[in-house]
Amino acid sequence: MAKPKVAFFDFACCEGCQLQVANMGELLFDVLGAIDVVEFREVMSEKGPDKIDVAIVEGSITTPHAVEKIKKIRERASVLIAYGSCATIGGVNGMKNNFKLDDIRKEVYGKDAKYFETIETMSVPQVVKVDYLVNGCPVYLPEFVKVLKAALAGLPYQVPDYSVCVECKLNENVCMYQKGVTCLGPVTKAGCNSWCINNGNICYGCRGMVSNPNEKGAKDVLEKYNIPMDLIVNKMNMYNKCREIDQREQKKR
Amino acid sequence: MKKTHIATLKKERFDDFISALARLQKVVAPVARGNGQFAFEPVVSGNEIALDYIPTILPPKKYFLPQHETLATFDTTKGQQMEPVVAYEKMVIFGVHTCDLAGIQSLNMIFSERPKDVNYLIRKSAITIIGYECNDYCDEYASCRLVHNHTPNGGYDLFFTNLGDKFIIHINTQAGDDIIESAGLFEPAQAADLKALEQLRSDKRKLFANEVPVVHENIPEVFAKSFNSKVWEDLGKKCLACGNCTNVCPTCYCFDVIDEPNLDLKTGKRYRRWDSCQSETFAQVAGGESFREERGARQRHRFYRKFKYPMNKFSRLFCTGCGRCSRTCMAKINLKETLTQLVKEQAMTDLKAGNQ
Amino acid sequence: MKELILKDSEYEIKRGKIVRTKMMTEQEKLFEIVLPGGDNLDHDPGQFVEVSILGAGEAPISIASSPTKRDSFELVVRNVGRVTGALHKLETGDEVGIRGPFGKGFPVRILEGNDLLFVAAGLGLVPLRSLINFVIDNRRDFGKVTVLLGCKTPDNMLFGDELESWRKRLDVNLNCTVDKADPEWKGNVGLITSLIPGVTLKPKRTFAVVVGPPIMYKFVIQELLKKEIPDRQILVSLERHMKCGLGKCGHCQINGIYCCQEGPVLSYDRIKSIPEAL
Repeated sequence: MAKPKVAFFDFACCEGCQLQVANMGELLFDVLGAIDVVEFREVMSEKGPDKIDVAIVEGSITTPHAVEKIKKIRERASVLIAYGSCATIGGVNGMKNNFKLDDIRKEVYGKDAKYFETIETMSVPQVVKVDYLVNGCPVYLPEFVKVLKAALAGLPYQVPDYSVCVECKLNENVCMYQKGVTCLGPVTKAGCNSWCINNGNICYGCRGMVSNPNEKGAKDVLEKYNIPMDLIVNKMNMYNKCREIDQREQKKR
Repeated sequence: MKKTHIATLKKERFDDFISALARLQKVVAPVARGNGQFAFEPVVSGNEIALDYIPTILPPKKYFLPQHETLATFDTTKGQQMEPVVAYEKMVIFGVHTCDLAGIQSLNMIFSERPKDVNYLIRKSAITIIGYECNDYCDEYASCRLVHNHTPNGGYDLFFTNLGDKFIIHINTQAGDDIIESAGLFEPAQAADLKALEQLRSDKRKLFANEVPVVHENIPEVFAKSFNSKVWEDLGKKCLACGNCTNVCPTCYCFDVIDEPNLDLKTGKRYRRWDSCQSETFAQVAGGESFREERGARQRHRFYRKFKYPMNKFSRLFCTGCGRCSRTCMAKINLKETLTQLVKEQAMTDLKAGNQ
Repeated sequence: MKELILKDSEYEIKRGKIVRTKMMTEQEKLFEIVLPGGDNLDHDPGQFVEVSILGAGEAPISIASSPTKRDSFELVVRNVGRVTGALHKLETGDEVGIRGPFGKGFPVRILEGNDLLFVAAGLGLVPLRSLINFVIDNRRDFGKVTVLLGCKTPDNMLFGDELESWRKRLDVNLNCTVDKADPEWKGNVGLITSLIPGVTLKPKRTFAVVVGPPIMYKFVIQELLKKEIPDRQILVSLERHMKCGLGKCGHCQINGIYCCQEGPVLSYDRIKSIPEAL
């Protein structure tokens, strides 16, 4: 059987998640043994064929041009994987949505602003249908490989909808709140094996919020720990600002 | 001549003892992790061990039922071929508190009940347990007196009690005696040592007082009448469903079974991983229906699995009184407080019923 | 760390060969499966098996065929998840892993000599079919047999040909209803509960066996109680997530009972005191 044709694409992002693939080490050989990479701007100059089996898309959608481009990629690809926080939840690019679009344009492009059309930042699933999500900033490689295997086997992959705390406890980390530090683990989707906390960092919420958080309960917790609400909202918005677009859409319905 | 069941070890020889033991096999023991937290970890000397520790983040169940455990490997090149496996390791767990000994005893019941879990039983048989007595409460979260786990109730090979300048050791099994014999560091107990132990236990009877206003025997009755209590609704409002309480519980043993294929998509493994009844999807069926949708109902389930259901089945409470669930809860759901509320609510209801 | 290959693990699977498949509706597919060496599955009606597709996982599936069918057994699978989705891609000649049978099935010894009222809605017909066909194959051991079936639309009706053969029998009373009819439908229109008042039965010697979606039970049981069928003679089969089948993993627990061990078949008498059951 021919190996599936896989192409990498990027939109507004730092391309760090694609770099993660290049940095895979030995595992990369196993991955390359299972797929045929036909397009990957970061490591090769060739352009892929019209039809591809798997499109791996990094970055968020921030211009009308990007909207057209992602729609074309969707048409070309049998399977589309949104890859990295910018693609799956809008990520840090979502911070753009804190400002007026015109102000943003002027700030970035100065007097040439009129030549650059811009739109509010959206995640890939907010624009086209997505088959798989690999959350994270950057992606957690073992999860990416897991998703890739699911995609190749034609099986669904469910991003865990419980909090990072679950995996963090299994790793027996000392809780950040015990250390007196605010951590977004309790409201962030797991699947990263609490990667950051294992390495002494806090959780920044880069994987998106669990879908049914106990918001009232979480507020009570913050009060008990004397953590101001603004601080948490700010922290949360660093990666999760685009969530507001979904909330807006939900209200319309 | 029948050997004695009691020995002593001078404090200054403790380090030698652990070092000698660790040269023969893997030894795990409580180690300080900073911020007042402890964890069972491999040690090679006694100096690494935190003798004065509060319950570890995870209980020693992680050695009996690992967080992730491969149940089978598979190769589908020629059809559905699978080979069940168990990975195990000979080890000594040193310093198990009486609450955690009770936790291991509870898990033993679950996994040796038919259909037996051979993975658990094989791993269990490779483990030697050295218990360690708490001379005082670890902190305000413990409720070990309530469930009578503040003093040893068996379940160990050796049991150490700290008598100040020495340890007094109860030798409970041949495996325990073999350790004592091969170490060559232990001495026979003197009458004064036995007297000191007796004194310590008698002091403990005063020090440890029931933490909840109900006697052990009446707990199942309280729960029999509390299924529709408002307390559960209140817990539901607080609970973040993070699953911390179940993951740190020494008697929670629920798991999920997951297949992980390799990149060839032919070979791979089937493993189990700790799961939590607090997670929203835990009691969900394939069609999407969840049978414990509310957080309050899930918290209630957790409490009933400690204080009611195992009582019917094994005549045993599955709460060990270790206090981990309360200690770890972000939302500060407190087991002692919850029990107290249930007891008070019950008393009010009974009072009202009596007045009518 | 030592690794040991286990000969006595409860997680061991048997390699089942698919000898026939049939799409029954858009969502449900039937699989006929033979065990190695033609071994009998040796199940009771109402039990379930854990079906594996290694790499995708394992899922609990009710056995759809009667144990009187000895050389093979049948499963009907609705495509709703990771494992069932993968199962739907399999065809004749493919293999599946089988563990089980598990759980307590219908108490056929107790049912013998009594009148039987079967009530099934939707996919509930699948486990019930194992019992109905068992009863038909041992017909003289049982009293009067009435079968009430309900589903959303006539397209969703499972085992259409078989239902016709039951309908033709003089020793089975069959009545079907759909929530929404199509032009060809000649039967009843309405919920399954609407069929019960019209049934004549002797409550003391009738056992009602009810299987369907969770929402259905309360309403059907209410109707059966109106008919004065005693609590212990109303049997249900409960659907839960029976992950391990061994009474360990906890997913299927209903209050204090493991559905995979003490169920899925339970009497109303028993579940009355189990608040999470219905």
